Amino acid sequence: MRAVWKAARAAVRRRRLQTLMIWLVTLVSTGALVVALGLVDAASAPFDRAFGAQHGPHVVAAFARDRVSDGRLSRAARASGVEAAAGPFAQAAVDIPRGAADFGLGGEITVVGRAGPGGTVDRVDLWAGRWAVRPGEVVLNRQSDWTADDLGKKFRVPKGPTLTIVGFAFDLSHTADAWVAPAQIGALHPTATQMLFRFRAAATEEGLRAELAEVTGGLPRGALTASRTYLALKHRIGSNARAYAPYLMAFGVLGILVAVLIVANVVSGAVVSGFRHIGILKALGFTPGQVLGVYLTMISVPAVLGCALGTYAGNLLAEPFLRFAFTGPASGVLHGSLGIAPWVNLLALLGMPLVCVLAALGPSVRARRLPAARAISAGSAPRHGRALGIQRRLASARLPRSVSLGAGLPFARPARSALTLAAVVLGVTTVTFATGLAATLNSYGNGERSYDVTVYVGDHRDGREPVHGDRELHALLGRLPGATHVTARSDDEALLVGSTQAVMFEGRRGGRSLDSALVKGRWMRETGEVVVGTPFLRRNGVHLGDRLRLRKDGREEEVTVVGETMDTDDRLVIGSWPTVTALMPRAEPIAYHVKLREGADQSAYARAVRAADPGLSVQLSGSNSVTGTIVGSATGLTLMLSLVASLGVFNTAVLNTHDRRRDLGMLKSIGMTPRQVTVMTVTSMAVLGALGSLIGIPLGIVAHKVVVPRMAAGVDITLPRYMMDVWHVPLLSVLALAGVLIAVLGALVPARRAARLTVAEVLHNE
Amino acid sequence: MVTEVRTADPVVRLDGLRKEYGETAALDGVSLEIRAGEAVAVMGPSGCGKSTLLNMIAGLDRPSAGTVVVHGENVGELSEKGLALFRRRRIGMIFQFFNLVDDLSALDNVALAAQLTGTAARQARRRALELFEELGIAGRRNAYPAVLSGGERQRVAVARALMNRPALLLADEPTGALDSRAGEQVMDLLIDLNQIGQTLVVVTHDERLAQRCASRLVELADGRVTGEHTLEPSV
Repeated sequence: MRAVWKAARAAVRRRRLQTLMIWLVTLVSTGALVVALGLVDAASAPFDRAFGAQHGPHVVAAFARDRVSDGRLSRAARASGVEAAAGPFAQAAVDIPRGAADFGLGGEITVVGRAGPGGTVDRVDLWAGRWAVRPGEVVLNRQSDWTADDLGKKFRVPKGPTLTIVGFAFDLSHTADAWVAPAQIGALHPTATQMLFRFRAAATEEGLRAELAEVTGGLPRGALTASRTYLALKHRIGSNARAYAPYLMAFGVLGILVAVLIVANVVSGAVVSGFRHIGILKALGFTPGQVLGVYLTMISVPAVLGCALGTYAGNLLAEPFLRFAFTGPASGVLHGSLGIAPWVNLLALLGMPLVCVLAALGPSVRARRLPAARAISAGSAPRHGRALGIQRRLASARLPRSVSLGAGLPFARPARSALTLAAVVLGVTTVTFATGLAATLNSYGNGERSYDVTVYVGDHRDGREPVHGDRELHALLGRLPGATHVTARSDDEALLVGSTQAVMFEGRRGGRSLDSALVKGRWMRETGEVVVGTPFLRRNGVHLGDRLRLRKDGREEEVTVVGETMDTDDRLVIGSWPTVTALMPRAEPIAYHVKLREGADQSAYARAVRAADPGLSVQLSGSNSVTGTIVGSATGLTLMLSLVASLGVFNTAVLNTHDRRRDLGMLKSIGMTPRQVTVMTVTSMAVLGALGSLIGIPLGIVAHKVVVPRMAAGVDITLPRYMMDVWHVPLLSVLALAGVLIAVLGALVPARRAARLTVAEVLHNE
Repeated sequence: MVTEVRTADPVVRLDGLRKEYGETAALDGVSLEIRAGEAVAVMGPSGCGKSTLLNMIAGLDRPSAGTVVVHGENVGELSEKGLALFRRRRIGMIFQFFNLVDDLSALDNVALAAQLTGTAARQARRRALELFEELGIAGRRNAYPAVLSGGERQRVAVARALMNRPALLLADEPTGALDSRAGEQVMDLLIDLNQIGQTLVVVTHDERLAQRCASRLVELADGRVTGEHTLEPSV
């Protein structure tokens, strides 16, 4: 054992570069693996984790206070199917004055009287301030990525108390917009009692309904006024995660494959290149088992160190990465649950060394069986050439000899080249997929930025109203320097006849397309025509050409759906101004969207707007955060995987250079210049790079075609064909260079080292 | 037997040549001249610096001190690229273990030397074939090194060394890895080449080879020239 350890230690010391390579590749690969698996894990169940952490209620139920007492509800909650319950909590619907909108609250909010944030069900995250414990205090439900600068502010409930904001809490299940102390809720005139249930059978909507029916079976008829299950919430909240999931999965799988391939390549290459050393050990009297031990130890030490450090680095890298990937309008809710799962770390720590050992085992066992003399002669005895037909054709090719020699090298070590090629293919697939994804998302982002400035009516900071009237304002904004086009937008709720849910009827004056790309059909031309998003069509079972009846304040109008847009809002119906005012004669714009001329200064226009009318607030259009997040994270992942693939190429080039030292020495002795050596070595890898591009580009295009529509479907949109049609000759030509670039980058350093080889030393050693 | 031979301008001039590997001096102040058409054998015990001397002349390694001038070019002052071009134009090398590329046929191994200079493949092959004919191995031109005998491999190596018509042919133990019959054939070949004017430097342990092939013998010990003798041509 001591001899094995000693020989292994000496071998590690002698092969510093190789040891460094194994360490580096296992480090980077394990890091990539941890991030990739972390992403796959986070993408597969982000909601479940956050929901589990909060012990979210499977069913939120509201009961009429005049029909059922709190005591009876508490008794009902002891039904056998109930795993845990919280409540009864008194619940009030409170109308909030306009100024309260400053706190992110709508017109009518749900306030619940609750003694604390904890409990067995619905443990809300009190992330700022404290809980409301006495009358006059309120805690608002707000995501933790907002600011807490409203703490201590007050608002007055019409015909009710003045409430001071003492805390902000986040409740994923959104059981309330605000909470007050139980002693305060009476003053807000509660009309309902809230119960929160966790059930044992909670997998399906039907199961949950059945469990709830069991709970409410013994209660008076009509006691249950409303209920919702967590599955609907999961669908809504998880839509962003569903958008991320397919792409994160794709990157995760690519990352894992690249990591495993490279490690296998590096480790098996290290053993093969050490055959001569194995022969010497055998000649010294090492048993085959001891030889195996030496090689496994030699590989395992740097590999285990690399894996351990890689796991640590992966965790460090993944945390901000996941935070970044899951930062978006609706994904901040997942922050608390983000992180690398223990199973990922365990798998990386045990799995990667296992891959290394398995990769080393095959060649080691082969070396173990080799007679000592043959092992010693490996490298110096003439071997039968490989792929000789290819070499012969290349020798006659009209190429510089250094290029044709390099082009033939990969065929001399087909297994090693195949592994390297696979890594390059995956690298190119990743680059292609990421490029297509970015192109589609840019196209989507550009569709979302058909205007540069949004001018809101009223200043939410001080409640000022605009000085100008609607038409006056529309004209004024169009006259300000830089403006080329102004579209007024109104938003009002209306009822879709035949449905219980309200729709948001949006009117546009002065332009039709603001932020939506048309997927099918056409934009509205006549009064009475509307366009809607794909989710609206799906939810309501509506098709293009169908007629809808909308009702508002006793007035009804029929509209025809003529186009399908890329809007993600399943309640949105968009019509021209005459169509909207036919139903709502008093509709007023809530905002004006201004398109500026090319190169105009957005900030200067915003200043001019404020100067023209202090009752307006201005928002400049920035880049889309979700598309920015996806493109940014895809770029990061692509760089990481390309780096790992380049390391694979680097390793192959190092091994090939080592294996062919004798040939290199001879070639230099007959007059091959250092530049020709570099060209030959780089060409040998560039061939794999070109082949990698040839295979990887179609794979990347397929991945784009499969993954991107699923991402879109995740957020209930259909992408127009032009957004998917991103593959053009110039882009494909650039991508074709990706594989070559990965290969050349990986081969450059070993190539230069090969060029600097001292011939006398090489030939003398042989 | 010992007579001075000064018949032509020196092709090689070594002056105070020193080569150190760490603290060990492989060559220690070697001065030597080799004239055009000469066949010089360098002999000495193992580790005396024979191969190092050959490497210095071939520009395969750089001296620690002193000068190596071959055909008027100071080899020590050449850049890496300059050295490569120098080897291409001036030097032909024959190694003990042949150093053929296993993946290339015998003909392509030889043609390679010319192709590296930019000669078209067809032209390089034509020249290689001529050499194969001259060396009597034309029938083995399409064979790969692994199936050639030792003697055949060394003949291929000689053909490769001659491919660019070098001014100087350097041979490092050319018969060291061959059986006696193959060794004889290679010796004959070297004699023939010298007889048609090829300047030759042979490093060897083999006294018979030195006697048969060389017109002058240089003896080395501990990195120094310890003797120089003119040899009678053997019959």
